[in-house]
Parts: sequence; C-alpha cells; structure tokens
Amino acid sequence: MRARLCIVLICLSAVMLSGCQSSRKIETAQIIENVTISERNGQTLYTFYILSSADTPLKTEIPAGSFEQACELAQNQYIPNISLSKLELLMIEEHLIDRVLKTDIEYISTQPSFSPSAFVALCDSKTIDKFSESTREQDLIEEQLILLKKNNPDVSINYLSVFNHFESEKTNEFRVGTLSFDGELKISGKKVIKS
Amino acid sequence: MSKVRFSSKRLLLTLMLCACSVILLQNYDISEKSSFVFDILCMLFGLAICFVLFIPSVIIKMRTNLDFLTVARTVTPKLKIPLAVLYSLYFVYAAEFFLLPYTDMFSKKYYSDVTPCLIALILLSACVYAALKGVNVITRFGIFLFVFALITNLLMFGGSIGTLDFELYGFEVTGSVNDFIKNTVYFIIPAFIVTLFACLSGKTKNFKLRQPLFALIVTGLKYGLIMFFIWFSLGDYASKQEYQTFILARAARIGFFGGIESLYLALATMSVFMIISLVLCAVTKSAGKESDIKYVIIFAVILFAAHMCGSYLNSVKEIFTNNYIFAVFTVITAAVIPMMYVFAGRKSSARKTLHSINMS
Amino acid sequence: MNNSLSEILSDLKADFSDSADLTIRNLTLKSERQIKAAIVTIEGLCDKEQLSQSVINPLLPYDFKSMKGQEAADKILSSVMASSDVVVIYTKKEIISFITSGFAVIIVDGAQQMFAVGVQGYSFRGVNEPESEVVQRGSREGFSEPLRVNMSLIRRRMKNPDLVFEQMTVGRESKTQLMLCYLKSRVSPKLLGKLKKRLNSCNLDSVLASGYLSEYLEDERSSRLFSGVGISERPDTVCGKLTEGRIAVIVDGTPAVLIVPRLFVEEFQGVDDYSNRTYYAAFIRLTKYLSFFTALFLPGLYVALAQFHPEYFPTGILIKTSESLAQTPLPVTLETLAITFVYEIMKEAGLRIPKSLGHAVGIVGALVIGESAVNAGIISSSTLMVVATAAICSYVTSPLYPPVTMLRFIFIIIGGLCGLWGIVIATAVMIISMCSKTSLGVPYMSSLAPFSLRTMRDVFVRADWKSLSKHIIKVQRFKETEV
Repeated sequence: MRARLCIVLICLSAVMLSGCQSSRKIETAQIIENVTISERNGQTLYTFYILSSADTPLKTEIPAGSFEQACELAQNQYIPNISLSKLELLMIEEHLIDRVLKTDIEYISTQPSFSPSAFVALCDSKTIDKFSESTREQDLIEEQLILLKKNNPDVSINYLSVFNHFESEKTNEFRVGTLSFDGELKISGKKVIKS
Repeated sequence: MSKVRFSSKRLLLTLMLCACSVILLQNYDISEKSSFVFDILCMLFGLAICFVLFIPSVIIKMRTNLDFLTVARTVTPKLKIPLAVLYSLYFVYAAEFFLLPYTDMFSKKYYSDVTPCLIALILLSACVYAALKGVNVITRFGIFLFVFALITNLLMFGGSIGTLDFELYGFEVTGSVNDFIKNTVYFIIPAFIVTLFACLSGKTKNFKLRQPLFALIVTGLKYGLIMFFIWFSLGDYASKQEYQTFILARAARIGFFGGIESLYLALATMSVFMIISLVLCAVTKSAGKESDIKYVIIFAVILFAAHMCGSYLNSVKEIFTNNYIFAVFTVITAAVIPMMYVFAGRKSSARKTLHSINMS
Repeated sequence: MNNSLSEILSDLKADFSDSADLTIRNLTLKSERQIKAAIVTIEGLCDKEQLSQSVINPLLPYDFKSMKGQEAADKILSSVMASSDVVVIYTKKEIISFITSGFAVIIVDGAQQMFAVGVQGYSFRGVNEPESEVVQRGSREGFSEPLRVNMSLIRRRMKNPDLVFEQMTVGRESKTQLMLCYLKSRVSPKLLGKLKKRLNSCNLDSVLASGYLSEYLEDERSSRLFSGVGISERPDTVCGKLTEGRIAVIVDGTPAVLIVPRLFVEEFQGVDDYSNRTYYAAFIRLTKYLSFFTALFLPGLYVALAQFHPEYFPTGILIKTSESLAQTPLPVTLETLAITFVYEIMKEAGLRIPKSLGHAVGIVGALVIGESAVNAGIISSSTLMVVATAAICSYVTSPLYPPVTMLRFIFIIIGGLCGLWGIVIATAVMIISMCSKTSLGVPYMSSLAPFSLRTMRDVFVRADWKSLSKHIIKVQRFKETEV
C-alpha cells in the first residue's frame, strides 16, 4: 500500500512539474489560419488572420522586416496565444517575391510547428484587399489552387513543393500559383526564376 | 509472472517492432550527401550483417533450447559476474540510446514546454510495471502494437503519396566510402535485437531459423519505405529539420485530414516503451534476478540517473547516442561473446550439463 | 447420531433457538408399539398441501403392526411415502441443510435413518425474460432465484448425461448452496479442481449473491479492473459456454450464474450474433468494438485535444468548440469530469427510484439540467455531446461498464494533465495489465494475445455455423493456459 502511494505521488508530482500545465487551451488559443504578406508605405506588412466564425476576418497587421520578426512581435505584443500549426494559406504580394520569399521560406522550413502542406500563392494587392473583406474568399482560393494543380501538375501550390524547388539544383525556375483580382478572381501559374 | 513457454514467433515479432522503431527516431544518422539507392544498398549490407550477428545466438537456441545467459552461467560459472556486469552495462546503454533521442524529439517537435526528464520518469515508471509482468506479457502487447504500427504506416505512406516528386530527385548512385561506413553503422543498430533475443529467448518454443530472417526482411522493408518517402516526398525539406520521420508524418495528409504525426508519436512512444521494458527484463535477467521488483526498480533508477546526466551534459549525451559505440558494443554482446560459448558448448561436459538443465 | 426422537428434536430446537418458523409435527404411528415420529419443516418453505398428500395422508392410516422403529422407517421408505423426491439422511447437519432448503424431514423414533422429502413450495419469482440480456431472437427464459429451477432450465437444454451438477456449500453462517455445472467430457479436471479449491477457500460468513464469490474466483496477482468471471442470466448462454469446457457456478437465491473462465472477446459476443446472418453479426460485433473504444477514449481524447492540441480538430469543429468553451466558466478538463460525474449520479438515481419516476428523472436530467446549463453558458454543448456519446456507447457492452467508467475518468484526468502523450502511456499500461490477466489460468486476452487464427473466427466477425462447427473450442486448449 505504501509503495502504491509512493508511485502515485511520484506520478502526480511528475505530471504537475512536467510543464504540461502551460498548455495551449482551445478557448484561449489564437489559431492562425492564413497569413498575407503585402506592402504598405514601403514597409512589409504581415497580416495574421485568426480563425473565427465571424464573416469579417479577424486580423492583426504587423509591420516587420521578416516573417521571423513578425512571429516574434505577434507572440510578444499582438497575439500572445498565437498558434501557427494550423496555417493553411500563405499569400505573398507578387512584387515582394525577391524581398521576402526566399528568407521567409527558409525560416518556415526550420519551424516544426508549420505544416509543410500549407498552400503558398502569389497575388496582387487587390486580391489581398478582397481577401481581408470576407472569410469565404479563403475557401474559394484553396479550391482554385487545387483546381490549378489538377490542370497544371507542374505548378507548386504547397509550401513543401515551393521549398524543394527553391533548394533543388536541378532547376533554375519553377511555377507557383498566382492570384489576381480584376472584377473577378483569376488564377494562373507564374514562373519564378531563382536568383 | 507467467512461467509458461510462449511462441518464439511472437518474440521475434516484438523484436522486429523494436528494430523498426530505430528509424522512427532517425536524426541525421543517414548521410545527407549519399543518394537514395546508395542508402538502400547500405541498408541491405547493414541488415545482412545483423543477420550474421544472429547466427551464434540462433545456434545456442537451436542446440540447447535455452537462452545465452543461462548457457553462459552453466558453462562458465566463474565468469558469471563479469558477464552480468558487461550485459547490464550494455542494456543500460541501449535503453539510453533510445530514451534520450525520444525525449529530445518529444520536447523539440511535439511539445516544447515539457521537461524531458519528467517525461522520462513517467515513461520509466510505466516500463517498470511492464517489466514486472515479464517478457511473455510484453510480447502479447507487441501484437497490439504491430496492428497499430501497420495502421500508422499505412496512413503515413498513403498520405505522402500525393507529394511524391520524381523529377527533382532521382535514382542515381552517389556516395563516398565515409558515407558508406556511416550509413552501414547506422543500419547495424537494429542488431540490438540480437542481444535481446540471445538473453530472452529461453522461454520460447518452436523456434525456426526463418523467424529472425523474416523479422529482418520486414525491418528492411519498413526502412526502405520510410527512406523512399523521406527522399521523394520530403526531398530537401527533410534536411532542414531534425527527426525526418516525424516530418514525414507531419506532412502526410489524407484528403483534408492531417495530424498523422500524433499517431507517429504514439507509435514511437509505445515502441520506446516496449524496448525499455524488454531491456529491463533482459538487464534483470543478466543480473540473475529476472523481473524481481527490487532489481527492476534499481535499474530503472540507474536509467533515470543516466538520462538526467545525458539531458544536462552534452558530452554524456553524445556518448550515449553515438552510433559507432553502440554498434561495436552490440557486435560484442550479440555475436562475439555468444560465439565463444558456441565453441565452449561443444565440449561433452558442457553438453551434459546443458542437457540436464534443459530436461529440468 | 443418537436415534432418540426426543433428543434429536430438542437438539434441533436448541440449534434454532426455538425459532418461530421451525415447525415440528409430532405423530404417533398406527402400530402395536405406538411408534413416535415427527415431521420437521420450516414455515413458509414447503407446500403444506403437498406435504399432506405425499407424506401425512399415506403415513397416518398405515398399520405398522408390531414393527420396531427401524423396521417402520424401512417400510415408510419402501411402501408408504407417495413422494418421488426422497433423500435418506443420517446427521443433524443434513437435517438442517434440507429443512432450510424447503424439504420436510421425517424422523422415526429409534430409526438410524431419516428421510428428507422434497415438498418445496415457497413462493418465488417465475421464469421471466432477463432485463439485462434482452435478445431479439431466441429464448425469453431467464434464470430465477431457486437453485433447482435454474438447474432444470439448464438440463432442459442439455439432454446429455455428460452434464454434471456438483453441489457445494459456501458461507459459514448462510450455508448457501451452490452447484458447479459442467460437461464432464469437455471440462478440464485440473480447471475444475482449481475452481473447487478456490470455492473451498472462501471464508465468508454469508453468501447472499453470486457476486460475493466472483472475487474468490479471480486469479491471484491478476489485474482486477476487468472481470475474469462472466455473469449470465440466460440458460442458453450458459449452455453455450458449457460446451466450450467452461464451468458454471449457480448460487441459490441469485438469478445471475457465474461462468469461468471469462475472456475479453466474450464481452462482445451476444446471443443474437448466432441467430442473425453472419454479415450482420459481423457488423454488430464491429460496432460493439467501436463503441467500446469510443466509450473509453472519446472524452479523454477530447480533453487532450482541447487542452493541448486544438489544431488537430477539423476547422469547422474547432471554431464551434472553441467558441462554445470560451463562454463556460470551468476549464475543459473540469467541465468534462463534472458532466461525467453528474451523468453517473443521474444514472444511479434512475436505477434506484421507482420506474414510474424514471421518466421524470430523464426529463429533469436531459432538459432541465442539460439544456438549461448549456443555454446559461455553464457547460458547453460540445462537451455535453462528447460525454453523452461516450455514455451511450458504454451501454453497448454493458458487462464492461464498470471498468470502462473508471478508465474513462482516468483518461480524462490524464488527457487534461499530459495530453495525447499521457493517454498513449496510460493505454500502454492498460494493455499490459489486460495482457497479464488470466481467468482460472487462461489468458484473458486469448484469441487476440496470444493470437489464435482458429478462434478468431468468432471474434471480430462470426463465421458461418458450418465452419464454426468444424472445430470444437475448449478453453483449456487456448494457448499458454496454465492449469
């Protein structure tokens, strides 16, 4: 009996001290579903879209030099209970490709919390504006990207594929999904030439 | 603890799962410079060595139907203590070899807030319970784990088929001698099951030579599949993070459903749990006190202390997780020493003693 | 034993402390020697009319002429008594045993032997359909309280001289009768010996229900969470088990018959499985297994995911769950524990109160407490749904209800403290515990671990009768059985 009591006490103390109590609780966790990278007043703006049932997206805009910096700022100042493990879509404004794509993709590749199957797409500023208006746009974009991949197997639509094309020595260029908005949403594959 | 003899097939199935779990904790152990086909060749060579290492203990088992430790104690009673010390050391090392990467992976990849030592403490407490129940019960647990492993692997591989890319990565053979040595040493690690077999096979019946062969073939298949998917599905991304098999599970998706890494983690946890439980059984057997509660707890405390040292002192961790040391240690305990007893056991006096033990 | 009637009667009176229900009918037999006799019964246990017709009526007018006590007793046995159920007894202990079982004991002054006449006539519950094991097709008969009735229910189904009933007595004070029932050609003598040894070691004062004995039948150093003793109220189930070499223990006064050895896979087998089409039986079996896992793990997994890994919820469910949980005051672990606990209270209340009030408790529980609490934001609808689903699933395999309930609480606590990892470790320990369990030496997890392909034909799916009948299953032949 005494031995059993000892075992129970050891297990309980182990559980209490193991760090499990600092859990990410579902009701307080701020789960990021999408991230857009755009430019405003010459500065790169990282917009984190928090998962919610509201029709209007719940977003936090963070001006930062890189995605790494944006994540740190988000955690420390803007979104303390941030969780990026359910990130589904990363949209980058087309003209920022040289500035952020390589460094941000390098950073993401070292982070275990990011899912390598998250969608990555380039877009114009109007698409980002449209995207911030309604949450329905996200599902629409994902569907479009899947359709694009089906029709054009050589287009990279997820992070894993984009990263591997960047790293590969076999190719100098590859194609990624590109969204544009001109009255209606259009999607195409755009060549990215590695510098 | 049950005294009944159980099927040798089941022991080998359990050991096969233990061998398969080596690749679950794979972390830059396979050379990054070598190609997929080269790695496969190294694997075949490594597993062939594993099979060769099986031979002495298989001979002892077939000749005497006893485990190596009982034979050694009977043939050379004077060497009882040195052998007990050597095998105890080996098993403590083997347990740490798996426990340290496991807790490291857990805290780095799955839940960073957790304290690795306390995870080890809880895991070891569970292992003590299993070790007290004996090898037979652990092998019964192995049947459930086998089914779970099958489901997890099917989901992991099935979910990665969609991301296979044969354009960027090909089937060329590239690799240096150093890569070959590094990879081969890594693929000799599954031979720790040979030592476990040598020490725990005493209570089994109906042993056939094809059983270890089959276990190694399935292990090879699993390794091959994991390497194939890591190479062609993850590609360069795999080398950016630690514990590549975890990333494979993380990237796998069936339709819109992901989260297969949870199943992978459960599989890795149960595999490590089973390995350490078996090791605790083996280590107490090598000390001559099989599944004795006092000895099981003593060895569990030693394992925990060693884990603490390994967690906080990098040099200790490096020693404990060194593939080369483990491989050499395994070759000695699995093959070199048992081989001596294969020859010693041929003497007529030794044969008579062993026969009388077997009959009793 | 002394054969003086007056001494026997005074001894009996002393033993029963002149208890009001001890009835002694003194008689003087028609003979030259005026032989004294007595009929001893216990009030309320025998049928007076039957006693008059089969014993008193033929006895009183019979002329014993010049016979002595011993000769008269022999005559009574051979020619006088009209009853077919007569047992010759010799000791006071036997007298007590028989009269307390409803027999009438005839004692003739000066005779060595006495006669116990079966005139039981106490009122008992009839043979009804057992409520806990209702079947769609098959017999509606269930065991009742009297031992003899239960024996007859089995014998009627097994018209085979191989069927043996062996009587034993347990309980120092209650002297409860029990019958070991087995098929002589199928049972393992070692297994039977082991069982008898365990029953003999039972040192309880009173055994008022079969459940008292089940702990004595469990193997030593074997996990007690899952039961290694089966219970059935159906004679057809018991007969089925007897054909597999199992032993039934019928305890007087209890409609639940104990069956040993008991295996885990049996918890998922039902009588209907063998009457239904094989594909449907297989579907039902798989549903039962799924329900078992749902009942066991669902609340624990829900807590672990909500507390540690919310990202594993599908997006739609995640949004709803997080919004619902954000409005409640308690953390998800406590909330799940509280609802599970309240549910157990309501279940107990529903079982104990009169049936007419049962509906009221259901309405109060479901509508007033459940819906109001959700509307008031005290509990979340998702947690309530998870707990309710698990609760319903736990009734699919009702014999496993006690261990499943306890384990569910453990998994909720571990899931809340350690997340999925904790649940994995707890599951591993649970499996090890189940694998190490034996029931009368037979591994509890037989068919699965140790694995046996032959017996797997009746585990997850039921093979057709043609293939099932090809091989006789005997429990003692299960792998790694230690008897």
